[in-house]
Amino acid sequence: MVNLEELKKEARQILKEGKVKYIIGFQRSSNGLLPVPAFIKNPEDVEKLVWDPTCVYNLTLFLRDEKRKKAKEKEPDERPVGIVVKGCDSRAINVLLQEEFIKREDVYVLGISCENTGVLDEKKLAKKLKGKKAKKVEFGAKDDFVVTTEDGKIKIAAQEVLAERCLECKAHFPVVYDVLIGEKTKRNVENPFKSLEKIESLPPKERWKFWKEQIDKCIRCYACRSVCPMCYCDECVADTINFVVTPDTPAEEKAQKIKWLEKSPVSSENFVYHFVRAIHLAGRCIDCGECERVCPLDIPVRFLNKKLEKEAKELFDYEAGFDPDKPSLVSSFKDDDPEDFIR
Amino acid sequence: MAEEFEPKIVAFLCKWCSSAGSDLAGVSRMEYPPNVIPITVMCSGSVSPLYIFSAFNKGADGVLVSGCHPGDCHYIKGNFYARRRIALVKKLLEYVGLEPERFQMSWISAAEGVKYTQVIKDFVQELKPLGPQKKLRRTQ
Repeated sequence: MVNLEELKKEARQILKEGKVKYIIGFQRSSNGLLPVPAFIKNPEDVEKLVWDPTCVYNLTLFLRDEKRKKAKEKEPDERPVGIVVKGCDSRAINVLLQEEFIKREDVYVLGISCENTGVLDEKKLAKKLKGKKAKKVEFGAKDDFVVTTEDGKIKIAAQEVLAERCLECKAHFPVVYDVLIGEKTKRNVENPFKSLEKIESLPPKERWKFWKEQIDKCIRCYACRSVCPMCYCDECVADTINFVVTPDTPAEEKAQKIKWLEKSPVSSENFVYHFVRAIHLAGRCIDCGECERVCPLDIPVRFLNKKLEKEAKELFDYEAGFDPDKPSLVSSFKDDDPEDFIR
Repeated sequence: MAEEFEPKIVAFLCKWCSSAGSDLAGVSRMEYPPNVIPITVMCSGSVSPLYIFSAFNKGADGVLVSGCHPGDCHYIKGNFYARRRIALVKKLLEYVGLEPERFQMSWISAAEGVKYTQVIKDFVQELKPLGPQKKLRRTQ
């Protein structure tokens, strides 16, 4: 069992000692079931920290903002940032380290093991509760969640309401950490790409129909991009206005910028956007599932990334986020990479 | 009588091998279908996946990426990187339901003019029964 007091104690201590600038964690929100990110600077505020199955967010996202903020400061505070991570989030830290986006001394990782469970899928829970509103969800004694509703507490087996990605998770514990809270437990996952099968098994025509329907829905709100800890490029091909345009950029230069894709949310342009995103995340996506969770139109974005994760594993035996010292997927090669598709 | 469909192929050819190979085919007066639009790039490894998506988006019926044989790269290992990247792009395009024949890769050296004409001939033959590529084409 993960002991929240242990986390609080550790957090309080590093804040008191001045080891970290602040700690990024989870705190209760005033509205709704899901928590909100907490940025804790004072040791007294540590009491706000929470840890329960509703802590779905990938907080490593804020390391991106922290880096940008730090770059602008004249005399930056060189102390690291404390960050609360789950297993999947810790792999994100590993990828950021691998790409040298952050340095190891910039983060103080408070790792929490998900042990045998994981985090909640809000939609699955709502379905399960049939209209009743959950007020609180806690980890139960053994592989179950205790849900508090208006009518009192009920126990639900974790398997039934776990997020899809947690069911396919390869490591339930942080792979990089300064402090580990909870135990490193192993759970056997028979097929980590099981959810893909239902799309892969479709004939090509049906697959096209499925993806066309899904991608057509996209309104190009870029929520998937905003929430992704790996999408940290300063300039993105998806929005031309982002191409450093200052008041004195001449019209000619602006006109000469290549427009790879239009901004209008039509099918063909949406496809280019989602392809680019998927390819850009190949070998980097650590499957935190945030893109799919934030999508206002329920596009299964995760399945695009998951597919490339699968191919990376099967073709090149590469898994993202386990070894920060290894070269990344597309910046390395083996002499015997498959080439049966080449004439 | 309806006119036969003539596919439009965008070919990204490496400057050092495949482009020279296509030149050889030209100066040797070998005949091959005129459906291909060659774009010379410095290395097959410099072909960004975005070029490929963009080509389909702007109306290509097929895209060919061609580079040097493994070990022959002018930049030592550019084509190895390309091989990995193109494999991923190919899998992704197939995954969403695009016909796998529409996107091909080949190794053609500067001396292989004959192979170049053969690759193009085969590619055109494969594309003809598929008809125009409408899936990823910009509609506006």
